[in-house]
Amino acid sequence: MMPLSRLAGILIPAMAFLSYLRPETWKPCTEVVPNISYQCMEVKLYKIPDNIPSSTKNLDLSFNPLRHLGSHSFSNFPELRVLDLSRCEIQIIEDDAYQGLNHLSTLILTGNPIQHLAPGSFSGLSSLQKLVAVEINLPSLENFPIGHLKTLKELNVAHNSINSSKFPEYFSNLSNLEYLDLSNNQIQNIYRKDLQVLHKIPLLNLSLDLSLNLIKFIQPDAFKELRLHKLTLRSNFDSINIMKTCIEGLAGLKVHKLVLGEFKNERNLDTFNKYALEGLCNLTVEEFQIAYFDEFSLDDIGTFNCLANLSAISLVSLYVVNLEKLPKDFRWQSLELINCKFEQFPSLSFYSLKTFVFTANHYSNTFVEFELPSLEFLDLSRNGLSYRSCCSQADFGTTRLKYLDLSFNDIIIMSSNFLGLEQLEYLDFHHSNLKQASDFSVFLSLTKLLYLDISYTNTRVTFHGIFHGLESLKILKMAGNYFQDNFLPDIFTELTNLTFLDLSTCHLEQVSQRAFDSLPRIQVINMSYNKLLSLDILPYQHLHSLQVLDCSFNRIKASNIQEPQRLPSNQTLLNLTQNDFACVCEHQSFLQWVKTRKRLFVEVEQMVCATPSDMQGLSVLSFRNSTCQMSKTVISVSAVFVFIVFLILVLVYKFYFHLMLLAGCKRYGGGECTYDAFVIYSSQDEDWVRNELVKNLEEGVPPFHLCLHYRDFIPGVAISANIIQEGFHKSRKVIVVVSQHFIQSRWCIFEYEIAQTWQFLSSCSGIIFIILQKVEKSLLRQQVELYRLLNRNTYLEWENNVLGQHIFWRRLRKALLAGKPWSPEAAADTENKEPEATASI
Amino acid sequence: MQGLTVALLAWALLHPHGGGGGDAWPTHTACKNGDLEVLYQSCDSLQDFGFSIDQCSKLLKPNINIRFGIILREDINELFLDVTLLTKGSSILNFSYPVCELDQPKFSFCGRRKGEQFYYAGPVNSPEFEIPKGEYEVLLELYNENHSTVACANATVICS
Repeated sequence: MMPLSRLAGILIPAMAFLSYLRPETWKPCTEVVPNISYQCMEVKLYKIPDNIPSSTKNLDLSFNPLRHLGSHSFSNFPELRVLDLSRCEIQIIEDDAYQGLNHLSTLILTGNPIQHLAPGSFSGLSSLQKLVAVEINLPSLENFPIGHLKTLKELNVAHNSINSSKFPEYFSNLSNLEYLDLSNNQIQNIYRKDLQVLHKIPLLNLSLDLSLNLIKFIQPDAFKELRLHKLTLRSNFDSINIMKTCIEGLAGLKVHKLVLGEFKNERNLDTFNKYALEGLCNLTVEEFQIAYFDEFSLDDIGTFNCLANLSAISLVSLYVVNLEKLPKDFRWQSLELINCKFEQFPSLSFYSLKTFVFTANHYSNTFVEFELPSLEFLDLSRNGLSYRSCCSQADFGTTRLKYLDLSFNDIIIMSSNFLGLEQLEYLDFHHSNLKQASDFSVFLSLTKLLYLDISYTNTRVTFHGIFHGLESLKILKMAGNYFQDNFLPDIFTELTNLTFLDLSTCHLEQVSQRAFDSLPRIQVINMSYNKLLSLDILPYQHLHSLQVLDCSFNRIKASNIQEPQRLPSNQTLLNLTQNDFACVCEHQSFLQWVKTRKRLFVEVEQMVCATPSDMQGLSVLSFRNSTCQMSKTVISVSAVFVFIVFLILVLVYKFYFHLMLLAGCKRYGGGECTYDAFVIYSSQDEDWVRNELVKNLEEGVPPFHLCLHYRDFIPGVAISANIIQEGFHKSRKVIVVVSQHFIQSRWCIFEYEIAQTWQFLSSCSGIIFIILQKVEKSLLRQQVELYRLLNRNTYLEWENNVLGQHIFWRRLRKALLAGKPWSPEAAADTENKEPEATASI
Repeated sequence: MQGLTVALLAWALLHPHGGGGGDAWPTHTACKNGDLEVLYQSCDSLQDFGFSIDQCSKLLKPNINIRFGIILREDINELFLDVTLLTKGSSILNFSYPVCELDQPKFSFCGRRKGEQFYYAGPVNSPEFEIPKGEYEVLLELYNENHSTVACANATVICS
């Protein structure tokens, strides 16, 4: 046990030491922005941390068991703007708990089971604009001590147990209040006196949300002459009769926007009838929205008689049978039909309608023309519509259209080029299936268009004039389409005002050098998710406004942008992440350039190598130039070495005989023999002997001395004597020049036979045969001995080509050199040494 | 006694911040019937949650009632559900569904705040079909407008 206690003795100070070693003093919190923003969510803090800098503006202490907020709890943080105390198990907030937080604008207290709120709990919060007190067990507004928060704009007391609609007197102080959320409480009755205080607030611009309170009764005239910005009543009534009387109770209210309805998961009404909304006739409403009434049907126009003078109507998730019966004299300017069920596409005809939103509706498959002469804004997205001939003025009955959204529909056949719709500024087709869009200049008349989205429309661009006419266009999105041969041609010629271009996921492999030449104002080009193999900067070189070029998620191995002056502008940011960079010495200059110009790249750490295998997954920044220098020197040194060796070999070959001379001795020859070789030949071949043999052997290196009868035979002596005396006796070797004439000449045969005898008698000389020309075999057979010899021995053959002659001379020289003593001394030496060597063995 | 002290100290050194994640959450049963069993495990490191399915039958009905309870760690002004269905490790179905949208809050819990309780008991839309025999993995993730995870589950459906 002793060693264990000693270990404990070591560990305790070690732990203390380690706890001091921690470099981040704000632990256990997380630093989001240094000195400004700290995150301490769910880190088991039992008290307010004191190691956070006092300059902190944003502090999240949510999900910590703080339990109790004493006075001046946050005096260390005088600069706080946002304080999040969600679910901190706070039960008691004492007086002056937030004292000193003069700059705090947002206080979040969600989910605390508060039992005691001291009257001065919120004192000192002189700049508070937003107070979130959701789910804090608040029983009423009466005792909520916020009367002094004059700057308050947003008060959220949803999901509490407030059961009275009484707005306490202090609301008259809250003159800046814009939003009050009382939803999900237990308010059942609303009396006139409860709202009295709201009349005292001048310029009241309040949005009030009372959803999810099960309201039983609204006193008539309770809202009379009250002016609100927005009133939301969703899932408030559990019977249609209560709803009817309550809406009647709203009489006299002036509200900009009224929202009525239910939630999908909070259905209270079983039935619905048109009389329920009759009370709306006594309200002044600008915009009206009905949402998620299951049984609601617009079948009867009578339902909407009271609403004829509204400016905006929004119907969300309802069952609407048809709208054709709506009278034309309605003054609606905006109509929204979202996620409703229709039996067919409504064929509308309204003179006043400026905005028509018809999205995410069911059972309306085919587009039908309508007549809306004032229409400017049309959203027909997400309906799965098919559209047989798009688009012209006749389809919508208007020439004023500025905004047209046909995204997320089915097949749209482009058959006319927007005749009569020249005012269009926004046009969106994305994720619809466009047909014939690349057959002609579809957009030719849209000279005012600013925004065009044809992303994922299955368009195959084959016609280069597809975008002709779009001279004002600023934003073009065409991601997820196709190009012929996966090549981006020069199709943007008229888009001189374009600033944003999205070409991602277009399967592009190549880009025309002139593709972007006519886009002087372009700022963003997105080429990500294509199949580009290299980044050629040439097409972008003249784009002086370019700010972002995104080529991420391609297959780029390297780029030719090594020289900074070739970049379009200094402000350009390049995104080359997720490519297949080849980190090899071949692209060394590009990789080096990336390193030196890191700031040009987005997430440069994400630019990783794909090859070679040992660099795979590593950042291109980890590429070392030294590896290339090393291999470069190795390559150059070895190249030089190989060259030198080659040169030496060539020289050795060329000067082989010179070297033999040098290596041996200055002098050669000597001995008893005056001549190196005696040449036997027919006089018919004398030309060859004189011009070739003599010239090459006697004038070359090493110079041989030949014995030739016309030169070296001594006159006045018999030929045979000359042959023997001068020829054989004084020569080391015999060269026999065999030819047709040689065999026919008696002298030659005589000489040859003597040579053979001589060779037999003296061992010093050998016979070298040179076949000058092919000799007929029958002729050769006459000389049986010669024939046999030629069959057995190696002989030299004269050839007419240059290479053959070169080899011939080298072989002949070698043969002549064989057995030649380089100098008398050397010859003597070898003679003397041989017996010794033998003896030693 | 001294041995206990040492063990305690060693534990304290190894867990300086008192856990926080680390261990996986336990596996719960969402429903179990004769031929169908649905198990799930939270894959959110921050919290576990409760989930159950009322009708547990091979034959999926168009509206099945579920119960789901959680304490929100994020605001949910917008909420999206991603579902991935895997069998033998390969994905066979993948879809994303917008639960809450900013302009048109469909459910009463849309717009709830971090720290608030979120309890849903009610029907969910599902295609009407019979689950073929086999074992399936379902990955469910709820995330908000900032792509922060609200809830995440690895569910196993065993149909025999």
